[in-house]
Amino acid sequence: MKRRIKVILAKLGLDVHNRGVITVARQLRDAGMEVVYIGNALPGQIARSAIEEDADVIGVSSLGGAHVTLGSALVKEAKNSGMADRVVLLMGGVFPPEDGKLLLEVGFDAIFTPGATGVDIVNTIERLVLGKTETH
Amino acid sequence: MSTKRQERTTREILKENISEGPRMPLYNPEALSIIKKRFDDWMKSTVRDADRVAWKKTPCTTLGSDIPREMLYTPLSNKDMDYGLDLGYPGQEPFTRGIHANMYRGKDFTMRQLTGFGSPEDTNARMEFMLDHGATGLNVLFDLPTIQMYDSDDPMAEGQVGMSGVCIDSVEDMAILFKDIALDEVTVSIVTHYPSNTAILFPMFLVMAEERGIPWDRLRGSVQNDMTLEELVRSGPEYIPPQDCFRIQCDNIEYIRSNVPKWNFITLNGYNLREFGTSAVTEMAVALVNGIETMEELTGRGHDVDSVADRMAFFWSPASDFFEEIARLRAVRRLWYKIMKYRFKAKNQRSCWMRCHAQTSGVSLVQQEPLNNIIRAAYQALAAVLGGVQSLHVDSYDEAYSVPTEEAALLSLRTQQIIQSETGITDVVDPLGGSFYVEALTAELEGRILDEIEEIERMGGYVASVERGEIHNRITGYFTDQQRKIEDGQLKIVGYNAYRSQVEPPAINVFRYPEGVEKKQKERLAELRLKRDNTRVEAALSALGDACRKGRNIFPFSLDCARARCTEGELFRVFKEAFGIWKPPSMW
Repeated sequence: MKRRIKVILAKLGLDVHNRGVITVARQLRDAGMEVVYIGNALPGQIARSAIEEDADVIGVSSLGGAHVTLGSALVKEAKNSGMADRVVLLMGGVFPPEDGKLLLEVGFDAIFTPGATGVDIVNTIERLVLGKTETH
Repeated sequence: MSTKRQERTTREILKENISEGPRMPLYNPEALSIIKKRFDDWMKSTVRDADRVAWKKTPCTTLGSDIPREMLYTPLSNKDMDYGLDLGYPGQEPFTRGIHANMYRGKDFTMRQLTGFGSPEDTNARMEFMLDHGATGLNVLFDLPTIQMYDSDDPMAEGQVGMSGVCIDSVEDMAILFKDIALDEVTVSIVTHYPSNTAILFPMFLVMAEERGIPWDRLRGSVQNDMTLEELVRSGPEYIPPQDCFRIQCDNIEYIRSNVPKWNFITLNGYNLREFGTSAVTEMAVALVNGIETMEELTGRGHDVDSVADRMAFFWSPASDFFEEIARLRAVRRLWYKIMKYRFKAKNQRSCWMRCHAQTSGVSLVQQEPLNNIIRAAYQALAAVLGGVQSLHVDSYDEAYSVPTEEAALLSLRTQQIIQSETGITDVVDPLGGSFYVEALTAELEGRILDEIEEIERMGGYVASVERGEIHNRITGYFTDQQRKIEDGQLKIVGYNAYRSQVEPPAINVFRYPEGVEKKQKERLAELRLKRDNTRVEAALSALGDACRKGRNIFPFSLDCARARCTEGELFRVFKEAFGIWKPPSMW
């Protein structure tokens, strides 16, 4: 039996804006995924939660400017704990276009900026999870 | 807590106290009956069937009220309007037309653009730039660690120092931030957001002024000091309980009222609540019900209404439905007057003023074709001025990407200056007063705001319904629905889900944060911890903790902490230890 996709969602660091991540949490849940929203957390805490929960996807939200500094730290944590090649890493939020490219280069599997729809996010997650399962 | 819950709702109190004496409708019955007859004839003879059927249409706009609109408004839409009771003259009750007789002829709206990024030096330079270009007020925004009350060297702050605002750890940083700025001349809005943070950062500001030799009675400006921001709108790692937060809000008010007489000690904040994703009506209902509960608490502590009420300030978010925004400002001005006069028996007219700052809607900005955001913000700003606001911030077009560049920030200031100097709209007070449409919409909005105030009061009041998550639920329900309307195209956003261009527009310049701020700030903090009198620091923090636990007004104690060079994180730790940690209700 195919298991439900399990997603850890977090606000990255101290960012105060949570409407986006709450909206996404609801959309993923409505699409049948298992969602664990851990609130504000640092990269180390997020990676630990992902291991404990045996998550397929980590999604972080950043509208506060720390997307590159904390985002890179999260990728490093994921690599160090050996889950980078089986867990999908996503970031959503407000950032300049070139930073979006940079986040993909450092190791995020996809990024979502304002304008992304629930359907976009659900489809991307399903495709990426399938990709990781096949290559793993 | 001395607040006694009123048995009756605000609506009931207003109904009992506003005498239903003889109203003098503006339109005489004879004229109205002729107008009605001609209206019916016009409907039959001239209006198409399709328009008759769809006579009422509900605009679908960003964070709108969902109030249906008729195709045409006439005197029949305002049959009972009594000029004196419902509109009156500006500067007089019921203040619908404005709080001053001459409005912008007497005093321009204050052009107060938010500023904050990087180190205190960086933000000081940007503030000087804005003042040099004609800004008439300051509006300081703090970085994420500062706003969430952690020091720059706290592990939680890693990678975030100087982002989204300026980093402040102690009074020494406050001194750099305001260096060479004439604090006895320019008014300063200090965006402290939370009551807890107001009790931490505002003392640093006051001690800075004290050390510069500026008497506190010459300082003018505002803090936010609003529980809504700390317990409802915010996402953060640690929260103190709502009851304690509300108590700090009132402690701050008490102290500031007595000691910094020209300072606006609370800014009842609808703005961030609406940005979080709530309707035009809920934004105002929540802010007003918080204002009502705050007044109840302060009068319960023995303060005379008129000795506190005249420094209440409000902060609104004009969004995209142009006439709704104008009507809303007029409606809330009339409603707050009624609340202060009839619920709290205020005698001083100033106590009944709904004075406000407005900021154009950040969430209405989109990344696609960012230059369109200039137009959005300009219309929103125009609505704010037509609605009679006292001060204004216009969002910059690049804020869907980052904090604004200097060029974009200047364009926002220029938008304000063009409204003020080129359009002529500031020459006439309340130019839309008397419009059949605007007056009908004003009355409708006032009624709906009062309905929602009553709902919250029936749930047990503001603090209680925050504790239990009822307001949280209302908001998440609303914004989930709004997102659905955007995704299915019902809510049209030009360049995004309507008229989307096939061509990628040229990239705009996007702000980059200055390098090295975190390192520099950590070094500064390490030096401070070394050179200050740490025995004095410990004593000041311990006295603050005692005051928290014993129910004494905490503000004088946090002032002593600021004088002793305590840091922001140290004060927040005292609050957490004294009050404990509250887990907010889940919002999904």
